[in-house]
Amino acid sequence: MAEKLLEVKNLKQYFNAGKPSEVKAIDNISFDIYRGETFGLVGESGCGKSTTGRTIIRLYDATDGEVLYDGVSVHGNKSKAEVKSLNQKMQMIFQDPYASLNPRMKVLDIIAEGLDIHGLVKNAKERKQKVIELLETVGLNKEHAERYPHEFSGGQRQRIGIARALAVNPEFIIADEPISALDVSIQAQVVNLLRDLQKEKGLTYLFIAHDLSMVKYISDRIGVMYFGKLVEMATAEELYKNPMHPYTKSLLSAIPLPDPIYERSRVRTPYNPNDHKYGPDEKVEFREVTPDHFVLCSDKEFAQMKKEIK
Amino acid sequence: MEKILQVKDLELSFHTFAGEVKAIRGVSFDLKKGETLAIVGESGSGKSVTTKSIMRLLPESSSEFKNGQILFDNKDLTKLPERDMQKIRGKEISMIFQDPMTSLNPTMPIGKQVMEPILKHQKVSKAKAKEVTIELLKMVGIPNAEVRYKMYPHQFSGGQRQRIVIAIALACNPKVLIADEPTTALDVTIQAQILELMKDIQKKVDTSIIFITHDLGVVANVADRVAVMYGGRIVEVGTVDEIFYNPQHPYTWGLLSSMPSLDLEEERLYAIPGTPPDLLNPPVGDAFALRSEYALKIDLEQAPPMFQVSDTHYAATWLLHPNAPKVEPPASIIERMKTFPGSRYYETKGGNV
Repeated sequence: MAEKLLEVKNLKQYFNAGKPSEVKAIDNISFDIYRGETFGLVGESGCGKSTTGRTIIRLYDATDGEVLYDGVSVHGNKSKAEVKSLNQKMQMIFQDPYASLNPRMKVLDIIAEGLDIHGLVKNAKERKQKVIELLETVGLNKEHAERYPHEFSGGQRQRIGIARALAVNPEFIIADEPISALDVSIQAQVVNLLRDLQKEKGLTYLFIAHDLSMVKYISDRIGVMYFGKLVEMATAEELYKNPMHPYTKSLLSAIPLPDPIYERSRVRTPYNPNDHKYGPDEKVEFREVTPDHFVLCSDKEFAQMKKEIK
Repeated sequence: MEKILQVKDLELSFHTFAGEVKAIRGVSFDLKKGETLAIVGESGSGKSVTTKSIMRLLPESSSEFKNGQILFDNKDLTKLPERDMQKIRGKEISMIFQDPMTSLNPTMPIGKQVMEPILKHQKVSKAKAKEVTIELLKMVGIPNAEVRYKMYPHQFSGGQRQRIVIAIALACNPKVLIADEPTTALDVTIQAQILELMKDIQKKVDTSIIFITHDLGVVANVADRVAVMYGGRIVEVGTVDEIFYNPQHPYTWGLLSSMPSLDLEEERLYAIPGTPPDLLNPPVGDAFALRSEYALKIDLEQAPPMFQVSDTHYAATWLLHPNAPKVEPPASIIERMKTFPGSRYYETKGGNV
């Protein structure tokens, strides 16, 4: 595939580091995101997927490891100008469209905030023109600019969140559960919008979610996280066809599908991390089992998986 | 089968500053003994209001029953005085709420909360009630119940809290259990556990369940029958197979096609255009007509009656009228219909024409 846009190398994010209450929210994960693709990140709540997104965009400082955007490190000491240029390239869409918009600001000002900060418009007229353009891109219209967030439904608010992210012409968007708070029929509208925008503007997405069927639909490649670790990574198709890590298998077997006949026969396989029975000096690493399909496993498991493929 | 609860032509409005919101506009359904009836629909379709009106949990100052009856045990719940309602609520009919984080009292040990309905509704000693409580907690899968029953809600995870809420709801062996989106706030794996638990318990205590959700995957998993609500009305009702494999209403088509399937490769998801109707000024005719590409002229003038598809399957759409033009449902719906004997697209395996 094409060039790497984002490289995450041995990223660690510990909260309360050194104290007894230390939490290893992200425990040594590495992955790359290529330009123009959608990388999906799934896992249950508390597995560190949102923390990963927030660390990548510098909302948290990483404990250890590197995040390289276009070859430039995101963390560490940076001049104001460097931070600003990164902020323009990377934007975020948040989960809760009710909490992520300032209720005391008009939609016009919410969307234009980024334009003002980065000095992308020269005067009030141009500013308004640009906002109206953005509103139209996300399927709203110019009357909406003068309204306040409470006047909108959840789906419309999420569109405003998307317009705000698009305002500064970013290359890379982190979408943190952008559809979990929305109704089924509205979810499809927002997902279609995200896909259209990607095609039109050549955007790259990091799509964080726990709804696996939507993730499969929108992503090119998917990473599965469990307790701060990436346990499996492959193309969307491959991951659903040949899940290798027992946690992925368990996660896939837990999704209820809108198909009563299938549901009657579906058996859920529970996952117990103790089943691995790793010895004290066994090296558990992220290994490439088949091309582009990585699994967190020990030597023994690796050999076993290799055998099962043949 | 015995009908345990009957809702007949229920109409309910809220009085707000903006005017009268007609939240339920003529809803009728039955609940049979031991079955699970799922009510699906998007936010604002009236599914939660319907069940809250069965429990009489709506504020009496702003809500008003306009018409209809809710028959339970030969009593009309819409007219029952509050004092009598209190004897039913929590005992005969109980409820599981959506958010286990907010439906438990954070300042009260969980054991006490489970014990509350037992002491209130049954004449038992405290010691006996404690015994029942611990048994209930064990039944819903709280490990080490003897110790943990003294703990507070914040000492439990989200899934465990929902188990405790279920234990409270089951405390008096209710005849009807209403579950309002009980798994929406939970992860897939935890959701699967809670659904398995509910099905298990239903087998043991033989209660009827009304299950409200907007997740069609969950519906396919738990329901015996399904009612689809839109704009304050039931637009289609049938057995789970009839709704998933032989849907008739364009709204049900839309709902089913907007879910991505795991094995089908689609370029674009089907999205129902527009937004749900404003029930301050409910549209004349079929409420879904404005968002439907299958709308007929009459849909804008007159609300469709329930047309019978089979003994158990009814749908409110003019498309089922004998004079209506034959329309093609979306491709993915035709795929579904092919597997259902009795639908017009059914393909018999074996190749006979």
